[in-house]
Amino acid sequence: MRVITVFIAIISGLAVLSGYFLSGLFPVLTEVQTHLLNGAIILTGIAALVGIFNLISVHTDKVRRGEKGSVYSALLVISLVITFFLGIILRPEHDAMQVVMNGIVIPTEAALMGILTISLLYAAIRLLRRRVDMMSIIFLLTAVIILFGSATLPFGEIPLLGTFSRWVTQVWALGGVRGILIGVALGSLTTGLRVLFGADRPYGGN
Amino acid sequence: MVISPELINLITGVISFLFTLLIFSYVLGDNPLFRIAVYIFVGVSSGYIAAVAWWQVIMPRLVYPAISAVNTGSSALMLELGLVLLGALMLLLFPHVTGLGRITLSFLVGVGAAVTLAGALTGTLIPQVMGSINAFDLNAASARNIGFMEAIFNGAIILVGTVLTLAYFHFGARPKADGSMHRLGLIEALAWGGRVFIGIALGVVFAGVYAAALTALIERISSLITFITGFLGNFL
Repeated sequence: MRVITVFIAIISGLAVLSGYFLSGLFPVLTEVQTHLLNGAIILTGIAALVGIFNLISVHTDKVRRGEKGSVYSALLVISLVITFFLGIILRPEHDAMQVVMNGIVIPTEAALMGILTISLLYAAIRLLRRRVDMMSIIFLLTAVIILFGSATLPFGEIPLLGTFSRWVTQVWALGGVRGILIGVALGSLTTGLRVLFGADRPYGGN
Repeated sequence: MVISPELINLITGVISFLFTLLIFSYVLGDNPLFRIAVYIFVGVSSGYIAAVAWWQVIMPRLVYPAISAVNTGSSALMLELGLVLLGALMLLLFPHVTGLGRITLSFLVGVGAAVTLAGALTGTLIPQVMGSINAFDLNAASARNIGFMEAIFNGAIILVGTVLTLAYFHFGARPKADGSMHRLGLIEALAWGGRVFIGIALGVVFAGVYAAALTALIERISSLITFITGFLGNFL
């Protein structure tokens, strides 16, 4: 089984990758890539459904065993099942589904984001109280400069602060962000290559 | 039955008002009202995602082509869809990383690794390297009314920041005589400079997230006020 899974992962990965870089030489590779990606998209959609059914089974078990917080689990399962069947019967673009989206999902996300204002402020204060070093001072000073430099203040813009905050964002921060992005890309590249060479096998098989 | 847009707006407004209040109750601490809202939110979102996956992935890419293949008798399409169905069946029967489910997962991991690799190369690595090079493009700078010295100075800061930040993520170390592991002195010095740039970058990201969170908070409070005033306006 291990040999088969490694073989499938390497062959499918190389076929998709060659579709990106060798399609100019071999146009048939684009077609192979399209078919493989289509299959992967379908399987990912099914995997999402499997994950959601797993969520239902975990919370149904909690309700059955009468564990602490099982009332919340029951609410989760009921709301999930009702939304799913409404979505299947009416389709996601139906008015009733839009009420669900605009009445529950979007306001809850926005309100959670709003709560983040207090959490982030609290975290910043804790950082200053617990760890006062060069890194935390630079971090918080930059955040304050950017916030005051970009905010619309009642007494107008603080002289030079707007220009300085734009310079910090577009030059100094860009250097750091670019380094982080290149580091992440190199990490992704290495991980992808390890999977394609069969050195990493996250699908099981030691 | 046709529901009027006014009624839909009213229902949406009432539900939105309730959920916003339930979430804001977290200011008083973790409480049952907040938990009710969060659990319902997770349930509704999952159900919505499942319905979207059904109507936008499984039906148009699997079910409709399968019906069409049966009607037209296309054997190649039937074989392809048959393989996908077999993979799906393995995934459904073995949802954990066990048994035949591993075959489907290995296919998904292989394709995912290839897409990630190509995406990292063409979507991040090459554009970011080109961005660092183009920062020294004096023609482009003069077209934007940026002076020669300013362009060189800013480009140099960006380049130094990129290199120092990358040096910070270099974790290669050599054992010393006492057995402890240390990075090379030069790398350690470069990494110290990298920390400054990372601190500035994360500070800017923090400010951005904070500004977005503040905007969301203001929008929610404004929607609560609008709903209450609109609701009271009907009675006064």
